[in-house]
Amino acid sequence: MLSPGLGTLAAQGGGVVYGTVTDTAGRGIEGVAVGIAQARLTALADSGGRYRISEVPTGRTEVRARRIGYLPGRAVVEVAAGDSARADFVLRSQPAIMQPTVVTAAKRSQLLDQSITSVAVVTDSQLARRAVSTVDEAVDKAPGVQFLNGQVNIRGSSGYVQGLGSRVLLLVDGIPANQGDRGGINWDIVPLEDVERVEIVKGAGSSLYGSAAFGGVVNVITREVAAGFHARVRATGGLYANPPHDVWAFRGRTGGHGGLDVTGSYGSETLRGSLTAGGRHSDGYREQDRRDHWETAGKAEWRPTQATRVAASGAWASDQYDVPALWCIRGQCDDRGQTYQPFMGDRSGRGMFTRSDKGYLAATVNRTSGVRLAWQARSSWLRTHFTDFQPDRDDFGVANRLGAEFRAVVQPAADRIVTAGVEGVRSDVRTNIFTGDTNPASNVVRTHAQGEVGAFAESEQRVGKLRLTTGARIDYMAVDGGALDAVVSPRVGAVLETTAGVWRASAGRGFRAPSLAERFVNTRVFGFHVIPNPALSPETAWSFELGHATSALPWARLDAALFWTEARDLIEPVFVVRDTTAQIQLQNVARARLRGLDFSLIASPFTTRLSTTLAYTLLDGRDLSRDEVLAFRPRHLLTLSADYGWKSLGVGGEFRHASRIERIELDEFFGSDPRIGSNVFDLHARLDHGPVSLRILVTNALNYIYNQVPRTLAPVRTLSAVLTWTY
Amino acid sequence: MHTLHGGAAGLACAAALACNGGLEPAPVPTSCPKDFVGICGTVTFQGPTPDSTDGVFIVAYPTFPRSRSELLNNFLPRPPLQSLPRPFVGSQFYTVPLPNGRYEWVLAVWQKDGLLTPTNADTLLREAGFYRDAGDTTSHGSGIVRVSGTGTDAIDFRIDFGNMHSISDYFPSSPR
Repeated sequence: MLSPGLGTLAAQGGGVVYGTVTDTAGRGIEGVAVGIAQARLTALADSGGRYRISEVPTGRTEVRARRIGYLPGRAVVEVAAGDSARADFVLRSQPAIMQPTVVTAAKRSQLLDQSITSVAVVTDSQLARRAVSTVDEAVDKAPGVQFLNGQVNIRGSSGYVQGLGSRVLLLVDGIPANQGDRGGINWDIVPLEDVERVEIVKGAGSSLYGSAAFGGVVNVITREVAAGFHARVRATGGLYANPPHDVWAFRGRTGGHGGLDVTGSYGSETLRGSLTAGGRHSDGYREQDRRDHWETAGKAEWRPTQATRVAASGAWASDQYDVPALWCIRGQCDDRGQTYQPFMGDRSGRGMFTRSDKGYLAATVNRTSGVRLAWQARSSWLRTHFTDFQPDRDDFGVANRLGAEFRAVVQPAADRIVTAGVEGVRSDVRTNIFTGDTNPASNVVRTHAQGEVGAFAESEQRVGKLRLTTGARIDYMAVDGGALDAVVSPRVGAVLETTAGVWRASAGRGFRAPSLAERFVNTRVFGFHVIPNPALSPETAWSFELGHATSALPWARLDAALFWTEARDLIEPVFVVRDTTAQIQLQNVARARLRGLDFSLIASPFTTRLSTTLAYTLLDGRDLSRDEVLAFRPRHLLTLSADYGWKSLGVGGEFRHASRIERIELDEFFGSDPRIGSNVFDLHARLDHGPVSLRILVTNALNYIYNQVPRTLAPVRTLSAVLTWTY
Repeated sequence: MHTLHGGAAGLACAAALACNGGLEPAPVPTSCPKDFVGICGTVTFQGPTPDSTDGVFIVAYPTFPRSRSELLNNFLPRPPLQSLPRPFVGSQFYTVPLPNGRYEWVLAVWQKDGLLTPTNADTLLREAGFYRDAGDTTSHGSGIVRVSGTGTDAIDFRIDFGNMHSISDYFPSSPR
């Protein structure tokens, strides 16, 4: 086949190279870049795979054809002046690991490899593979991430503090969503159905996000509302394994779980909206573990111009759940001659349950005012309300977290990007448990409030293949109108692109202000009085990281990072013996060092049908104050996964090993309890048929019985089936 | 296909790991457990358990207390203490972790429900029994117990809820 226009060749003085690019089945491939390397000439193949390059220098010429998803092609042709030469290519398909765009690490959109800190991304396809119900279940096997009884750890950041304060900041579409009173995270505040992907930024992020981004940031990004009418119905059901030993049996039937979610959406050019509602029930896998959950979420968008987007979103979730008592030890239940009964609760915790309602409303305005300026203004209101129903006294807390932020991304020069903004947060709680009272029998109701104001700026300067980042944030905090505390959180970093991959290095400061609950708690835990400590001060840390990412093979991406965190004034629970009575108090006691290696290899060898992951985290956590291992941090965390998909079928498996936790807090009380590492193996399968898909998930398929935190049985084997119909 | 086989082998190894181990039932011991450091023995209860019982504890004093203050502060293990398991009837085997050392007085303490302070210790605490060497006839019991890297077994007690002694029996309150 000859291209048109060859009659002009003589006038142009060079030659023409033309031809076709096809796949191994003979189909033309559109969009292949075919180029003459010596002359910097390139053409794109049309829909039939045809291309034509004119004004090619005469002589022997190398022609190259490249397209993502295919192995590159190469041919050498002889080009004569005024003549044409043909070079056809047959490209073999080659799975490629696409580099995603992330929005969390720098508070703006950037390619993953441009981030100065490590970022793990849980994509929508990974979410879809796992037939889970909440966000935490979906991300708990991300590299370097571990959940301890619902509390998230990024490179060992949080340990386990009974939900009182998280050293990880949760964002929903970039909006902070940690509780106003306890500082913890409600992972089920957003229906999983609405989640598109999750970004996990590792290491201190306070230079952009302020308090709580001490050990990392988790950003839950919800789906865009598509144009047209769409609907989705998702039904789930499943069973929990019974105890593997008769002596541990606690009920005469098999427990189950199930739920239903319905989503509808409509979108036009200017207006879009979606609404999700649903609920689920679980019998739980141990004694006193029932849970009922109801949820609704909505999103609306108005796009008056291409450059302006106004969005409002909200969600509300209501739970009523039993509070599983600590597993019973000898004498505290029908122990059947056992030193402990992992499926049964301590008699003293019988009948306790919690009613928990939480929701948020958020509004954002995004505007792109030309190629050099984009800005966003947002406001949000997060409300949580819980009541713990207990035999002797009901504890409750009603908390609000009001937030507002204005930030702009400016590009003053082609090689520089600056992100700057101001943010304010006000948290308050009305409660009978976080009162600051020291009398354990007191049942007064008090209100406490904490205000935080911060300003931040970060600049990225490109110098050749090097990107240099510098920035800082200053935060002012005050509790109950008292004196201001100020914390400055600087960060510097660099990213260098080389032929061998991308190197990144960063140093940044993180901090976390004590939550209102930590300052003012007055309750009983494990039979001990927990006394308040209003004088708590923020805990701080310096985080350092050196990382390398490479996609030397087009089907594999390797990311490795060395990290080092020096933490001061960590807030930990300690026993205080006063008047011969042991009480628990949260104190700024610990100096800690967390250092280690984070490694992940994501590969699709041979075919896009196969996707494999190997991730490993080595963590050396030391409590420098006590000169011993830091509590609740496993030294080794290993994740292996493999997924194979063929047409509408897919199968996969995932294995997570966490080494035995060497030390726990309050070990005076729990130190002699059994404690082992975890080896959990999950299996999943999928079947898609038109608008219907079926997902099967078996978590902890081998029913490995273990615990991560004291006297708390980790989930047993659970079978889940999810049937989804999409319109 | 090496990688595919490697991946499958890796997951198979992982599955084998997950098959192996995990928590198992642990019957109540009848002798000092292996690798345990402290004292073990049998406690025998007599009489009905008082309704107001908060717990029954085993503690050890490196030296016999010479004052109320030493009585309330110089014992091991340090608080918080774990009560012997309920119900307090018949006999039960106990273990109490203790550091290596020599202990002059090992006793059982009954505690009444309430918030313990030095001022109400007389009301809330009772000596409920003690370990004594064979042939010992002292009123407070005399029995040297040594812990040396293992569990010291057969430190047995008899607790009679109808015959317990207050702190004042050992250290009478100062005359006012």
